[in-house]
Amino acid sequence: MIEVMSDSRERLLARARREGLEAVGYRVIDSPLGPLWVAVGPKGVLAIHYGSEPSHRELARIVRTYGPGVLPDPRRADPVARELDQYFEGKRRSFDVPVDLSTLTPFQQRILGATARVPYGGVATYATVAAEAGNRNASRAAGAALGSNPVPIVVPCHRVLASDGSLGGYGGGLAAKRRLLQLERGTVPPGGWVRADQR
Amino acid sequence: MTEITTFGELLERHEREIFAYALRLVGDRDDADDVYQETFLAAFRGWPPPRRGQERAWLYRIATNKVIDRARKAKRLVRMGDLRLAAPERDGVSMADLTTAVKVLPEGQRAAFVLRKLQGLEYAEVARALDCSEEAARSRVAEAMKKVKEAMK
Repeated sequence: MIEVMSDSRERLLARARREGLEAVGYRVIDSPLGPLWVAVGPKGVLAIHYGSEPSHRELARIVRTYGPGVLPDPRRADPVARELDQYFEGKRRSFDVPVDLSTLTPFQQRILGATARVPYGGVATYATVAAEAGNRNASRAAGAALGSNPVPIVVPCHRVLASDGSLGGYGGGLAAKRRLLQLERGTVPPGGWVRADQR
Repeated sequence: MTEITTFGELLERHEREIFAYALRLVGDRDDADDVYQETFLAAFRGWPPPRRGQERAWLYRIATNKVIDRARKAKRLVRMGDLRLAAPERDGVSMADLTTAVKVLPEGQRAAFVLRKLQGLEYAEVARALDCSEEAARSRVAEAMKKVKEAMK
């Protein structure tokens, strides 16, 4: 039954694509951090969600902009899946796939734009990212924007730390943030990079 | 269960039961495949569902209509191998019952029989899927059962 179904589903999805019923394609990929739900729209990667299913909020954001035509489409998500594999294998330091931030507010877009400029292996703070985005006093809001970053890893919010150098927060959980920083920098001190005068 | 907001959720949540339903109604894998595809394409094209929270009954209604639309004049040939895919042994309904149902019942009664006895829908859901009253759904199922039993004597 399952084999029959997978052929039927393939044909159904091909017809839906031909009819223009698919606006966004998604698939679940395996990663060293567990399954990632990846969605790609007409302008680029829309979501990388920790887990095999997106949150209701995540889907609502996509549906608001692109409508309900969100369908499984492994091929569409293949390029980003390939780049993520290379990244996790240590063979890629930046991503070439386009990212679609158009579903976010202008402030979120500026914060994520500034975050995308933090290089592989580097770190920044919420305050410096807020300043880069044009509002030096918005570090708390920057933290919130990064906490709801819909495309983590590709937009490397894991490289942004609290102002005292501690790890701060992470949408995918602090263990994931630590692993990503370890991958890029080798080691991560237990509490992050808290300066001696702030301990 | 969370509200369905995308085609993907609708598909992933209900495609297996709709495929099994189609197979149980038409008795042929290729025809079931067509019904399954036409059902979901019609649902995508006709989005949103008429009532939130009743997407399942809506899909069953579309699928039932697709089967009725396709009703062929030629005598139905039932391929046992295909029907076995639908694993019908349930609630005392045997493969022979199902084969007989596919052969002898008109589409409306066959749909009621399969929805209730094999898909396991409540009568209220059967009624929504077939766009009839609950009482009519009950009587269609009862009539279908009677005919299947008679045909098997």
